[in-house]
Amino acid sequence: MRPRKRVLFLLTEVFANGGIQRFNKTLLAAAAEYGVSCHVLTLNDRTIEPGRFPDTTVTAFGGDRKRFAIAVLRALWLGNYDCILVGHVNLLGLAIGARLLMPFKRSAEVMLVAHGIEVWYGIPRMRRTALTFAHRILCVSRYTRQRLLDQVPDLQPERLTIFPNALSETWRDAVGLEAGRTLPGRFILSVTRLERGDRYKGIVTVIETLAMLEDTSLHYCIIGHGDDLPFLQQVAERQGVEQRVHFLRGVSDAELITIYGRCAAFVLPSGKEGFGIVFLEAMYFGAPVIAAAEKGALDVVQEGETGLLVRFGDTVALKEAIERLQRDVALRERVIARGRATVTEGGAFTFARFARRYADVLGITAPSRS
Amino acid sequence: MCGILGLHNSNGVAPPGERFAAALDRLRSRGPDDSGIWHDERVALGHRRLSIVDLSPTGRQPMESSDRRYTIVFNGEIYNHRELRPLLSPLNGWRGTSDTETLLEAYRTWGVGCLSRINGMFAFAIWDRAERTLFAARDRMGVKPFYYAERGTSIAFASRPSALTTLLDGGLEIDPEALRVYLELGYVPAPLSFHRGVQKLPPAHYLLSDSRGTRRVRYWDYRCITPERSWSSRKEEDLIEELQALISDAVRVRLMSDVPLGAFLSGGVDSALIVAAMKSAGVAHPKAFTIGFNEPRFNEAPAAAKIAERLGIDHVVEMLDVNDLLSLLPEYIEQFDEPFADSSAFPTMALARLARRHVTVALSGDGADELFGGYHYYPLMTRISPVMRWRRPWRSRVQRALRMLPGHRGKLLAGALDSRGNIALFNYLRSTGKHFPTLISSDVLPSTSGSEIWFEQFATGFAVDLPAAETGMRLDAGITLPGLFLQKVDVATMAYSLEARCPMTDYRLVEWAMRLPAEYKIRNGQTKYLLKKALCKHLSPELVYRPKMGFGVPIARWLREDPLREWAQSLVHDDGLMSRLPLDRIRVRDLLRQQSSAKGESHPLVWSLLMLLCFVQRYHGEGALPAIPYREVA
Repeated sequence: MRPRKRVLFLLTEVFANGGIQRFNKTLLAAAAEYGVSCHVLTLNDRTIEPGRFPDTTVTAFGGDRKRFAIAVLRALWLGNYDCILVGHVNLLGLAIGARLLMPFKRSAEVMLVAHGIEVWYGIPRMRRTALTFAHRILCVSRYTRQRLLDQVPDLQPERLTIFPNALSETWRDAVGLEAGRTLPGRFILSVTRLERGDRYKGIVTVIETLAMLEDTSLHYCIIGHGDDLPFLQQVAERQGVEQRVHFLRGVSDAELITIYGRCAAFVLPSGKEGFGIVFLEAMYFGAPVIAAAEKGALDVVQEGETGLLVRFGDTVALKEAIERLQRDVALRERVIARGRATVTEGGAFTFARFARRYADVLGITAPSRS
Repeated sequence: MCGILGLHNSNGVAPPGERFAAALDRLRSRGPDDSGIWHDERVALGHRRLSIVDLSPTGRQPMESSDRRYTIVFNGEIYNHRELRPLLSPLNGWRGTSDTETLLEAYRTWGVGCLSRINGMFAFAIWDRAERTLFAARDRMGVKPFYYAERGTSIAFASRPSALTTLLDGGLEIDPEALRVYLELGYVPAPLSFHRGVQKLPPAHYLLSDSRGTRRVRYWDYRCITPERSWSSRKEEDLIEELQALISDAVRVRLMSDVPLGAFLSGGVDSALIVAAMKSAGVAHPKAFTIGFNEPRFNEAPAAAKIAERLGIDHVVEMLDVNDLLSLLPEYIEQFDEPFADSSAFPTMALARLARRHVTVALSGDGADELFGGYHYYPLMTRISPVMRWRRPWRSRVQRALRMLPGHRGKLLAGALDSRGNIALFNYLRSTGKHFPTLISSDVLPSTSGSEIWFEQFATGFAVDLPAAETGMRLDAGITLPGLFLQKVDVATMAYSLEARCPMTDYRLVEWAMRLPAEYKIRNGQTKYLLKKALCKHLSPELVYRPKMGFGVPIARWLREDPLREWAQSLVHDDGLMSRLPLDRIRVRDLLRQQSSAKGESHPLVWSLLMLLCFVQRYHGEGALPAIPYREVA
């Protein structure tokens, strides 16, 4: 019997909503699929869902950095891991430092997940040094890989693996629930954070575009929360579309499935998407996708095939794209069908493909359960 | 240049009467040559004409299409209309040679799509009798003004807000947000207007009004154009050639005219390039106009004369005493229908008056500073932006050191370091108030947003990862240029029935400038790097690389000494006037005291305040301006 791989996961957060959190959940599910023994230390989670992932022990630190650091040192001292998987570059220094302190534990490979914006700009010198110590860097998109190589020329390209995200397997059998709220008859949809620092998500562009549409019966639903809500509400008011823009809060996953399925288009013309897992969700639940032709989104959305791409910030192009999807039924159906194909059997972004890629990285040949 | 006016109500409008005629008369200086009114049961359209192209009656407006389905009122010029004509097939052939007829036919053929084919400056409205739709549009960069007001099922529009308020019989009701933004910037940017209920159609937008309501649609968006990184490795010489070709063509198409045409020549880079391009385009003896002042620090006439001599053009100079500009103050207040605090409007008006004595059309260099990095604060943004990201204690130390420097520059820079991001930094550097406390009273302040929010909304559409200076340039090109500089040129030239054309706002040049990497705009603190290199092909370096002077006016001195000190005091202490505005009177008087005693460089804000008070005084008809001691200009 082959020995089970033991992996120490150092993650920022798992059990909350968000792109990185969803990636982490998928990663743990993939590890379970291949019988990996997982020890998870999660910095920011306050509560956990015990038993969600088999063969996995999870400890949450509720944002307490000191306790987290001690736990990392302790785990490395006591444990015997094949791999330390670091879920965010902010935690890489700790992992590398801990490993250097314990030369006798050096059999454990350090693997970093590079999601997007956190490694695109101005990596400090210390962190650049830490990156050169990582045995492997899993980059969620081609753009992220290229940015890392641009900024840290000492990195050996073969250590950087493109490791795209996948539709979480929890969505696979999920069933939609009729939304417990009144939804507009016809609407476009965005699902995103609404933080002031995240204005690159393009929500203002969509609101401005909504005001330009010939079809004034089309509404815009935005699912997300953050401190930029008052600004966005103000923009909607100024554009005269406050009656057609709806900020939905407290939407459950089951409701979200229904909303994805009913929207006229999923629109997120973001300028800095590391990957854009929400595009995959939208595709899976039958929404035609419109994204900005920028960065990680280019790996997910193929123009005219799995969605439509527009220039970031281009309201004229976005208006044309939304109206094209309304007007051209054949295009709409093709985009929905091909989008769905990428996240269902044999598609590039299925959970099975993701788990296989992860197993390859760990050197595992066959899944432990079918 | 012309003036347009209109009223549409899907439920029907009354035939135009005296009020409509009075409103149209407000546009007389925009179009002194002719006027016309047209109406049907749902629309009334009015036009005042300054004849530039096709002086015959076939160019009259409002103009109907030959099938009488469409009627147009149009202010501006379509520079490529002759190129468009072969692509169009009018039902009964062309009736004349005007660009108005071409535009009407272009709309009949391509509908809204005509906007992507036309190159020009314009504000127009077309009534489609069959579809019962009113279509109105403004040019890409906002050279021509378009104001509109919606009231229930009706929409009214005009080239001036005063025509609109006359038409709608509305008194002055101040929009508090516009007031706040005005006091921060010195002008009111689109879509805001100082008159509550009136909006400016933003540049590159059109309106569609029918029984379903009114929709405002952007038809061109340059904000998102990404600078081409690959151009950094191109030969500089190739870029200069491309730039020159674009400027030449922008100037060439703007030479279309059936009346005499000249150019403004300031002695700076932009106007010199325009005049050089006129010469290259085959204009044998271009006429150029310059206003000179007897005070050397404001006088650009000697530099302009050298440029004119080098380029071999007819140069007309008028020398003025700087204080003589004050004779234009009544005209200034009469012509600007919203408070407007850029004091360079004075010399611009004097220049327009001079040019109108010789020509009907003048080319101007406006737009180059915003597109190619001409303002002093762009290099400053590049330098300050990284310091803003320093940790608080380090930043505080720098701020403390700056505040100890003599003069106001240190304080200004220290204030800039408090900015949260490039947009806030730009807003600070661009604002008239800088570190002075707001003059708006505390009960109005919470219900309004400042200028920063408007800049932020506009900037959300910018290409990602722009350098700080490029962010500033795009904000200026999109908001400051139409709201401040192009408005100033339009109003100042309109006052003397002169048509100004701005080749630097040609959309092909704008798109190219957006693709040009920032290092070709600002390099080692040098502004307009590539533009200056291009001008070096025509002029010697000492003429090209002189320090920027701008259209300066000694407002600070006027306010501190004679002749405006007493006048300013009387306005600020007029309780009746002050009571009409939601201002904090204590702060207002403190500000004036500081300015009078030379304790702070607050004159831009004080000037904004005074222009505001004059504007309110004019609207409430409280008599003429207080007497200002100035000499009449001969």
